[in-house]
Amino acid sequence: MTDAIHIERLHYRVGNAFEIKDLDLHVPAGSIYGFLGPNGSGKTTTIRLVLGLLRPLGGRITVLGSPMPERHAKVLARVGYVPEQPHLDVTLTVRELIDFQAAFYPRWDRGRAEELVERFELDGARLFGRLSKGQKAKLMILLALAQCGDLLVLDEPTDGLDPVVRRDILSALVTYVSERGATIFISSHLVHELERVCDWVAVMDDGRLITESPMEKLKHGTKRLVVSGAPAEIGNPPFRMLSRESSNGAGESWVVGDWEPEMTSYIENLGGSVRDVIDLDLEDGFVELLRSFRKVRQ
Amino acid sequence: MAVNCYSVPVHWNSEPSLFHGIDPRSPIPLYVQIADRVRLAIATGTLGSAASLPSVRQLAAELRINPATVIQAYRDLEAQGFVEIRHGAGTFVRELAPGRRARERSQQAVALVRKLLAEARRSGVSLAELQRALETELGVKVT
Repeated sequence: MTDAIHIERLHYRVGNAFEIKDLDLHVPAGSIYGFLGPNGSGKTTTIRLVLGLLRPLGGRITVLGSPMPERHAKVLARVGYVPEQPHLDVTLTVRELIDFQAAFYPRWDRGRAEELVERFELDGARLFGRLSKGQKAKLMILLALAQCGDLLVLDEPTDGLDPVVRRDILSALVTYVSERGATIFISSHLVHELERVCDWVAVMDDGRLITESPMEKLKHGTKRLVVSGAPAEIGNPPFRMLSRESSNGAGESWVVGDWEPEMTSYIENLGGSVRDVIDLDLEDGFVELLRSFRKVRQ
Repeated sequence: MAVNCYSVPVHWNSEPSLFHGIDPRSPIPLYVQIADRVRLAIATGTLGSAASLPSVRQLAAELRINPATVIQAYRDLEAQGFVEIRHGAGTFVRELAPGRRARERSQQAVALVRKLLAEARRSGVSLAELQRALETELGVKVT
């Protein structure tokens, strides 16, 4: 399978405060790819690099098969983008904004735009500046979908929105993917939302990639183990040790990644026993990944 | 350039009871949860022979999940012989061999009991206590 977005050894820096270093990302074509990370981890900067809005210091970015930022005109004609902050003229009406945007995109789908105006219950005559936050978000999603791109890049599209609006937006995105087979790259820190919809997930912290993995693998492989009798030194285990703490009385609490059930034998061979294996959801796994990543870097 | 992008309106705000409470946070993958629900509905007769399942697009939009997840669930159900995917037409429940529904129901019962036992073990409830609670709830002795 080809990648809709392919990033190799990306390097970018502004001043001395923040840098993106050695970033590799592979967003498979047709996937819904969740880009997770705390505020300030570099998600928006990465997105701006992908869209050619910033120039990297080093590395290679390929979007829909073409190098960025060199071929940005060709690439951006096929990319729908919803930025974190509304970027539209507040003095234009909903209808005017739709017509304005349509003029730039040869593949513009009038039918879809009309359908979404109705479904999102948008008032065509209303000024953008007079829309509620939820209505603004819906309009931006509408504009991105109606241009019929092969890739949608969404920067925190549902951040700060109420559950009803979030639900409508996610449904519209999912419908678009089932009809068009497009790729969606969506950054968020709303972990539960991504857990529902994404088949791939990457986690960033402090300008670096912590992990990139199919969603099921990440969710499935991250466990909390209750272990007793294991030695302090456990050699080179087949799983990823994310954290290890003694819990009161009942042995130790381990958080592990890349876990498979048969790996209990590795711990047993060291003289320990696994008393329990507890599933973690994506949010717990995300928090544990961040904690262990930060501990190593300190 | 040709406009090759069209759409048909979908009614996406009604969550069908069949899939109510699908839990993305559960360690059980979503496609397995969906397939389980369909199998249960077939076993209990809620979905009879030739009944049609929601389209991939419809169900994905309703549950706000990846269409690929729905496709995987339907393919698994097809591989297990529960449904037939007719391309362009939809996904339909197949005629089941006699006894298959009953067998499926007893498998569901086993799964429920396993879940109960695991939960009991985790919270430190003994077998005897579990049995007493079951007897109280049912109002009959379990021997």
